Amino acid sequence: MKKRFIAIMMCIAMVSSLFIGCGKNNSSNDNGASDSNGTSTNGADSSGDSSKKIKEFTAFFDRQGIELNDNNEIQQLIAEKIGAKCKETWLTGQTAEEAVGMLIASGEYPDFINWTPQLQDAGALVPIDEYLDKYPNIKNFWSESQWNSLKQEDGHIYSIPQFGNINQKLMDTTQGGEAFWVQTRVLKWAGYPVVESLDQLFKLLEDYYAANPTMADGSSVIPFEVLCYDWYYFCLENPPQFLDGWPNNGRCIVDPATYKVADYNITNTAQRYFKKLNEEYKKGIVDPEFMTMNHDQFLEKISSGRVLCMVEQKWDFQTAEDAIKTQKLDGCTYVPLGITIDPGMKEMYYAANEAAVLSGGLSITTSCKDIEGALQFINDLLDPEIITLRSWGVKDTDYKVGDDGLFYREQTMRDNAVNADYKASHLCTYSYFPNYTGMNPDGKNAMTPDTQPSEFFAALTTDVQECLTAYGAKTYVDMLDYNEIDGYEQPWYPMWSFVGEMTTDTPGGLAWTKMEETKKQYLPQVVIADDFDSSWNKYLDAYKACKPEDFFAEVQTAVYDRIELVQGKRPTE
Amino acid sequence: MDSRIATATCIIFKESMVISMTGVKRIKAEKVKAVKVKITWKEIKKQKELILLSIPFVAYVLLFSYAPLIGWVMAFQKYKPALGFFHSKFVGLDKFKFLFVDNADFLRVIRNTLAMGIINLVLSFAFAIAFALLLNEVVHRAPKKFVQTVSYLPHFLSMIIVCGILQDALSIDHGIVNDILVKLHILKDPINFFTYKSLFWWIVGFANVWKETGWNSIIYLAAITAINPDLYEAASIDGAGRLRKMWNITLPGIKPTIFILLLINIGNVLNSGFEIQYLLTNGLVQSVSQTIDIYVLKFGISQCDYSLGTAAGIFKSIVSIILIFLANSAAKTAGEERLF
Amino acid sequence: MEVRYKKSRKRFSLKNFIYSITIGLILASFVIVTIYPILNTLAVSFNDAIDALRGGIYLWPRKWSLNNYSTVLHKESMMTGLYISVLRTLAGTVLQLAVTALISFVLSRKNFIFAKPISILFVLTMYVNGGLIPTFLLNKELGFTNSFWVYIIPGLVSAFNMLVIRTYMNGLPDSLEESAMMDGAGYFTIFMRIIVPLCKPVFATIALFIAVGQWNSWFDTMLYNRMADNLTTLQYELMKLLSSVSQLSGDANTASITGAAAQVTTTSVRAAATILTCLPIVALYPFLQRYFVTGLTIGGVKE
Repeated sequence: MKKRFIAIMMCIAMVSSLFIGCGKNNSSNDNGASDSNGTSTNGADSSGDSSKKIKEFTAFFDRQGIELNDNNEIQQLIAEKIGAKCKETWLTGQTAEEAVGMLIASGEYPDFINWTPQLQDAGALVPIDEYLDKYPNIKNFWSESQWNSLKQEDGHIYSIPQFGNINQKLMDTTQGGEAFWVQTRVLKWAGYPVVESLDQLFKLLEDYYAANPTMADGSSVIPFEVLCYDWYYFCLENPPQFLDGWPNNGRCIVDPATYKVADYNITNTAQRYFKKLNEEYKKGIVDPEFMTMNHDQFLEKISSGRVLCMVEQKWDFQTAEDAIKTQKLDGCTYVPLGITIDPGMKEMYYAANEAAVLSGGLSITTSCKDIEGALQFINDLLDPEIITLRSWGVKDTDYKVGDDGLFYREQTMRDNAVNADYKASHLCTYSYFPNYTGMNPDGKNAMTPDTQPSEFFAALTTDVQECLTAYGAKTYVDMLDYNEIDGYEQPWYPMWSFVGEMTTDTPGGLAWTKMEETKKQYLPQVVIADDFDSSWNKYLDAYKACKPEDFFAEVQTAVYDRIELVQGKRPTE
Repeated sequence: MDSRIATATCIIFKESMVISMTGVKRIKAEKVKAVKVKITWKEIKKQKELILLSIPFVAYVLLFSYAPLIGWVMAFQKYKPALGFFHSKFVGLDKFKFLFVDNADFLRVIRNTLAMGIINLVLSFAFAIAFALLLNEVVHRAPKKFVQTVSYLPHFLSMIIVCGILQDALSIDHGIVNDILVKLHILKDPINFFTYKSLFWWIVGFANVWKETGWNSIIYLAAITAINPDLYEAASIDGAGRLRKMWNITLPGIKPTIFILLLINIGNVLNSGFEIQYLLTNGLVQSVSQTIDIYVLKFGISQCDYSLGTAAGIFKSIVSIILIFLANSAAKTAGEERLF
Repeated sequence: MEVRYKKSRKRFSLKNFIYSITIGLILASFVIVTIYPILNTLAVSFNDAIDALRGGIYLWPRKWSLNNYSTVLHKESMMTGLYISVLRTLAGTVLQLAVTALISFVLSRKNFIFAKPISILFVLTMYVNGGLIPTFLLNKELGFTNSFWVYIIPGLVSAFNMLVIRTYMNGLPDSLEESAMMDGAGYFTIFMRIIVPLCKPVFATIALFIAVGQWNSWFDTMLYNRMADNLTTLQYELMKLLSSVSQLSGDANTASITGAAAQVTTTSVRAAATILTCLPIVALYPFLQRYFVTGLTIGGVKE
């Protein structure tokens, strides 16, 4: 009886799935077809707003991101104002290259996509330069020469870069890039000394560690931490370029005087830096586990407040700092220091720059049936009112306006902003569509809540405020030297945007991949080696075997190319 | 019917019991050589039901498994998705040359993959079979069910979680393994397990065993249920203890299953993994941790070089096929269950 | 039988006792080592997300919170995903099991003249693979994009499952088939009336494998049904949730520009998602377990 019952249930399930499967097939085919169709023929099935037909576009970005709920409130608001919305999908469970490769192989694309060289080669993208005049917001987003730099071999422009566009001035309060981050209690204990060089920093750490080897709960303090897990290994290998006072070109040094490319991996400074790490490792100052821990373990250590100092980028340990704040560990939050190899050098950890040579960005694909509608969408997203909706949210729900016209947020608003649920159901930033950074178009406020000075102060703990004041700084950025890199005079900056597009097709790209593997393998060994010099030499041998000269030759050519593009003349070799 | 039995030599699965003078039973299973039936029209007509039943499957397999093999042509091209199979540039054996000639690395990578594959094979078989045998010995239903339910749960944890727990446990910074070893005075100071190249392969093997033993043992438990209980009865009569019964009845009873799974997994020895090695690797053990799949990811897929991935895939397929044919013949000579 | 059993019990009671204790100890330590990651994951899933970053949670949450579960459960389209996942698991298990059992039966007939070539054909499929792109293109040509059937049809017969069932069927006595033949039964009747009822343990096993495979798969959803919201599966929704921050790819420079810190998925949400995924299987398992744990006699055929 029971068996028969189960058998009957199975049959019902099978039969119903047959019907539903077929039914879904049909209805989803319709959806599939109409999603890539940007025209407003099926506007009725969105939002139920029958008075205005809302166009729907699709987008795929080869990055991680949060998928918004279908009934996201701000997305709806924006849609009603500008007559269009876009469903964004993000990278899941594949590498970016795999995902894009599959799209190219299938020949079917979403309306918007992030530019990659493969897509360009595949002819999947639509040239937009002829349309630009019709859409002033887009046209004015970048300057004439910047648009020029985006031209592909056939003379057309295929993408709109989304980031790095500084509106009026940068409002950066936090150092987004790399720095040596030190806990405030270390500086406070030493009386807020001037710490400029590597030696001074490590002396300070050693002294503090000797005086305070444990935390309140008895766990040991970790004076210096280096993360080198997987693609985070930049923490280990990047510093030599900064220690020499160069800005973040990412993969190489470019001398502005001679335009020559140099390799920061094998400079004297690099050797001194790693030798110093090696010495400190032997003294127990560097975490004995640094080379084998994974990212979660790294966050654990930071969150416990035990790490005194590290070389990192702020966004990577932001959540760990939040954990420190919730535990109310006094003095355990971080401020950045711009360390150089010798005292008294100029450092360029922080460089305000709007790149002269752009690449990549948002593209419209050949699958898009309404190119003008798509461009109109991008255009409208750059309206001041929409910008505020995207970056700040809805007035009085997500932020309030003070009498002086400055935006501010209450605590509940701040809590909401980090809640994943809230982000999916209410906030809509269209983060991979073009947006400004710096000032809000109203001229008074900053673009985002994070960079609003008043908001920034409110979020600081007292020990950080004390520390900043002691150094005469008001923001994290003030702790570092302020630098500006002019896009015209140094048009190659930043070189990492070029290197990011290299593949093993070219000898330079192949060399680069091998160099990365070699660095990942040897640099940790160099730091923990008993005999530094022989280990360093082994590293150099392996490094040379990768043929780095191929890589740097290719980069040098690219530097000259960029100079020629922007300044109009090519430097003589 | 009679004539059919007369023309074919029979395959009879015999269970014979040999009673030795010392009162210990040995139960032997004999398998006489397989029959070869001649392919005549008469035979085909007799078996037409079977043939008709098998035709749709053959068609299915040809379509879904063999048709995509056209894609192997990618390995001989500089494949670009935009150009497709028919217009990508033909480069002959360049990709294979890149793998085997231009980079000494790949041979080392093959060695790693093979070593980890063999270690995983041996360990997982030993533990899964042992666990199934031991569990079978438990008399009371309730603890048996409980242990079995608990055992397969780690299979559902993602590798990321398992590796995270493993790294915490082996951590030099108050990891539980170090704590225990130091307390037992086996170690003086905690050590960082992940810095030792010699240990890496075994750590990977252990992680696999930890996660998959319960799940792998399910097949063996199911096979054990098919063993004729009369055998146990008869063994009891002759005074066999539980250990003897396990060794002489249960283990041989699941031998066909063991052999089939062994044969299948020998073919998979080069597929020993990607996720564990990717998650647990670090600079110091990189030379022993890189597997073929990781290598292909770094030099192939990440560079949009699908041809390289396909070339490595062809290499793996060829090795697997050679291995299973060899293993299958070995099984045939030994008279054991085999793949074909 | 009773008497004999008691007799052996008396004679070897000490030996038996030591034997039982040893086995008990071994299994107990196995259980402890194996259950630890489960309990740990459970504890982490009930722990507040920011607090979980600190690590150091072993068997009990330090700061209780249901937020992780609500983050997972409130994700829109989770319900659709659940519905489709259940549907594909049911349909997939029944169809795939039936079909695989049939071909296993055919190939287990020892005098089947084409058994060897067809077996080789199947076995080789486990080791050759055209690659992701050719398979994708094939399925696309066959019309399987934006379709529910892509979850079932392409994976209908797995060589592995076929081999396991075939091995089991090989172990059944030939006398069954012979006597049925003598009574005039055709192959299909033998399959349905005789073989199928005897294969319950192996069918339960394979059904479990197929069901778990169906329940856990998300890659096919991503490849073929990414744009079809009403065909999404539970696992795929969870994958999307967990992919907000990933360890597998990244570029420091772009990350600093786009402010990757804004998106956070912590270990605790991952733990919650894992627990939610296991629950249905754990619930289903007891129904299948009795096939592995109790015995099954091969009904009265005397040699």
